[in-house]
Amino acid sequence: MDIIAGFSHGLLVALQPENLLYCFIGVTLGTFIGVLPGIGSMAAIAMILPLTFYLEPTSALVMIAGVYYGAEYGGSIASILMNIPGTPSSSITCIDGYPMARQGRAGVALFASAIASFGGGMIGMVVMAVLAPVLAQLALNFGPTEYFAVILLGLVAASAVSNGSPVKGVAMVVAGLMLGTIGVDITTGAERFTMGIPELRDGVSLVIVAMGLFGVGELIVSIKANASGAHQNQIDYRQFYPTRAEWKAMFAPILRGGGIGSFFGALPGTGQTVASAVAYAVEKKISPARARFGQGAVEGVAVPEAANNSATQTAFIPTLTLGVPGSASMALVIGALMIHGIVPGPRLLVDHSDLFWGLVASFLIGNILLLILNIPLIGLWVRLLQIPYKYMYPTIIVLICVGVYSINNNVFDVWLTLAFGWAGYLMRLFRFEPAPLLIGFVLGPMMEEQLRRAMLLSRGDPSVFLTRPISGVLIVLTVVLLVWSILSALRAKRRMRGAMRSAE
Amino acid sequence: MSFRAATALTLAAALMGSTALAEPGAWTDEPVRIVVTFPPGGTSDLIARILAQYFESEFGQRAVVDNRPGAGGTVAADYVAQQAPDGTTLILGNNAPFTIAPTQFDSLPYDPMAGFTHIAYLGASTPALYVQPTMGIATLDDFIAYANEHGITYGSSGVGSITHILGQAVDSALGIEQIHVPYQGSAPAIQDFRAGVLESYYDMLAQNRDLINDGETLPLALAAPARSPLFPQIPTFRELGYDVVIENWTGLSGPAGMDPEMVQTIHDTVEAIMEMQPVVDQLAQWGITHTVMTSDEFTGFVGGTIETWRPLILSANVNGG
Amino acid sequence: MVFPISAPKGPAMPSVISFFQRLQKAEDTASPPHAWLGALGGVALLALSVVFIWGGIALGVGSPRRLGTGAFPVLTGLALALLSVAIIFMDLRDTSDAERPDWLAFAAIGAALMVFAASVERIGLVPGVFLTVIIASLPDPSLPWRGKLLLGGIVALGCWGLFIGALGLPFDAFKGI
Repeated sequence: MDIIAGFSHGLLVALQPENLLYCFIGVTLGTFIGVLPGIGSMAAIAMILPLTFYLEPTSALVMIAGVYYGAEYGGSIASILMNIPGTPSSSITCIDGYPMARQGRAGVALFASAIASFGGGMIGMVVMAVLAPVLAQLALNFGPTEYFAVILLGLVAASAVSNGSPVKGVAMVVAGLMLGTIGVDITTGAERFTMGIPELRDGVSLVIVAMGLFGVGELIVSIKANASGAHQNQIDYRQFYPTRAEWKAMFAPILRGGGIGSFFGALPGTGQTVASAVAYAVEKKISPARARFGQGAVEGVAVPEAANNSATQTAFIPTLTLGVPGSASMALVIGALMIHGIVPGPRLLVDHSDLFWGLVASFLIGNILLLILNIPLIGLWVRLLQIPYKYMYPTIIVLICVGVYSINNNVFDVWLTLAFGWAGYLMRLFRFEPAPLLIGFVLGPMMEEQLRRAMLLSRGDPSVFLTRPISGVLIVLTVVLLVWSILSALRAKRRMRGAMRSAE
Repeated sequence: MSFRAATALTLAAALMGSTALAEPGAWTDEPVRIVVTFPPGGTSDLIARILAQYFESEFGQRAVVDNRPGAGGTVAADYVAQQAPDGTTLILGNNAPFTIAPTQFDSLPYDPMAGFTHIAYLGASTPALYVQPTMGIATLDDFIAYANEHGITYGSSGVGSITHILGQAVDSALGIEQIHVPYQGSAPAIQDFRAGVLESYYDMLAQNRDLINDGETLPLALAAPARSPLFPQIPTFRELGYDVVIENWTGLSGPAGMDPEMVQTIHDTVEAIMEMQPVVDQLAQWGITHTVMTSDEFTGFVGGTIETWRPLILSANVNGG
Repeated sequence: MVFPISAPKGPAMPSVISFFQRLQKAEDTASPPHAWLGALGGVALLALSVVFIWGGIALGVGSPRRLGTGAFPVLTGLALALLSVAIIFMDLRDTSDAERPDWLAFAAIGAALMVFAASVERIGLVPGVFLTVIIASLPDPSLPWRGKLLLGGIVALGCWGLFIGALGLPFDAFKGI
């Protein structure tokens, strides 16, 4: 079907008053849910699921999608203001967003995040409209060997996320991989490091790791830092909107972030967290402002936000066209369609083209609505920082507790968050960064699963990783990247030593 | 009709008569939580949400769905077993915590029979065996021949899952040895199957409707007692001479020691909902066959599955410790 | 700094708090923490990796063809062990001052999470949140008792409205009291 005709038809569907209304409800609910640490889009979608039983399937899907990407907008707000990711995928936004807020530039950071999210969302939408069938085909060509190769590439990129010592960064990635082995080994069914606790059989939830390491760990640090008066002492109102130079600086990172995000979104399972981490790592290698990354670079906020939003949109491609949900929230989308007798799969684009194009067009409308909703709110959020911290932090602790509890409605998860929170505080004391650990933790179980599955399917022949074309290319690329970054690190060290010698 | 069958029928009629005494309707003033063993979004969760919705709209019984996923449903079952038997906590149970876990795990924190009041059977969906249409396999006999000659890989939705146990049952009934490749749920297995790296898999019928119609996957045999109305052309294992029946059942249970009268009310309310046309249509869509069972029959059914599945689970060698 | 020892919680808590208070006093009065203390992080990582290597070997590493349950923990454990040895040496050579730990906040935030976990299913969301807020606000001396109680009340009622009222999450507001 002609893309332009399809899209304009979809626009008509999405602009129907009731769809517009549900889109608005969805994105608004999503934004506010996203701000609450721990409570992600999953809880919000589960909550509106029974409501969708009564709706047209298109309205239902538009509303659920709105919650989903609205939460990504909201998730970054808590990251920037309090260094606590509202959703795990906005963890990377903390790295530069929070330093910006500490410098009194919270307004600029929030603005940049909203604009980047919008840009990323638009890129994701275009990719979905133009490339959905192609990407679906691509995802179909991704067997275990290809997944393993992509994950390897992601891991090499992730170890570059760290802003401190590179050795500690790599150690954290490896520690993440290692902690990811906790739980039942899905290939054999044997328990690993669960200490006989049934709740650990399914491993540790990503939300718990993110809330513990970033949220609780940060709170412990910040109580002393903020003991006197407001969380932010100075807010520079002149620096509320990005300057022209900042606008210009954000443009290319948004494009790159959106592109990388679109790719990872379309691969079920890798998702927004990995997309934003890889995009950030790439940007840190090539951006002209790379020296300022980690100290409040506006590019460092724009890139992960563009990436996680475009990934949020393209995540619908495998969900709708292959019926493979990449995340728990996407599984809910399939549930909402099932209740209307629509089975996601290759025929959805043809049999329900109304639904597909209506959804794509609703991305445009929803993202515009989010921009309209978020920009006036920036002032309000910034003012939130002036609430004395002694009122703020006990409230945040409660929000984290409720959020973590409501993932599985299980108190054990709160205990586990406590353990990760203490660990997160100790990590800060010893100058380890939590972000690379989080990425290792997301990718580790997938990496192991795909590796072992590839070996089972090839009946024990490891050469498949190189002989299958896509995985072969990816692995060569990874090796090149690895060698290049080691060489450039060594060269930088030699240069520094040379400079020191000449200074003496 | 033999005399004994006739008495059984009369007895059944008498029982039915006695059940008619309880009127479907609300059984408690408190909101009821229906605990689901899966995260939101799956068929099981949707059934719970439909029940919750009809409890409230048709019978004025407030109800919420409480998802407590984890450890093959044992986290949810353990939670429910510890609640007061006052009808405010129910569990949408299935074979994972009630049939498989008792054999799979050396120690369970709950007793699947004595720890619960099994109230109502909701239905079962049927898994089938699918192979690549391009492999030159058209019948189960071809499949056996191929497996014996080359070995064959099959995808399941996880170690200890119903499809894994079905794979084991097929191994022992057909006298073959398939290579088990576990996935996390059937969707990723189907993805690898379509990518051409997996040779066969086991999964429920309804989710594969489009793929079957498009000729992308070839169902060889059903593990049900009878053919499915969805695809009447697919034979059952039993017809083909192999006794393999593994169904994915769902039912409603509560903590042990519930008041029999309340159990009857809940049972009849559930039955009334299961007969409503929109619910009947929805279940048919999902390939779930509902059969009426009394609470006693359902309790017997759960106990029966534990016994009949035990050797299969043991042969699957899935020990969760 | 003065902290109320008679906090409204289990009998074990006051001694825990006073333990951390003593620890805190020692930290505050000592000269900046020695640099070699920074190497403890690497030591902890090394210990963790040893646990995973040991546990992994016990689970069985399998063969290169058919990787066993323990293979991945052992491989990652070995890599982490090597890295943490490198980190220990790096930290030992690092002469910059380590950060001053805030053990009181460490204990209070931990206790707040414990109280939430212990109370929410026993006495319900509203009283559970109230207690959590009180405990969490203990390390901040600038908030008087009346303020702590008021904040606890407001947050508890807010949670009731937001999570039970608006979002319909399956919590009990009050239970057993």
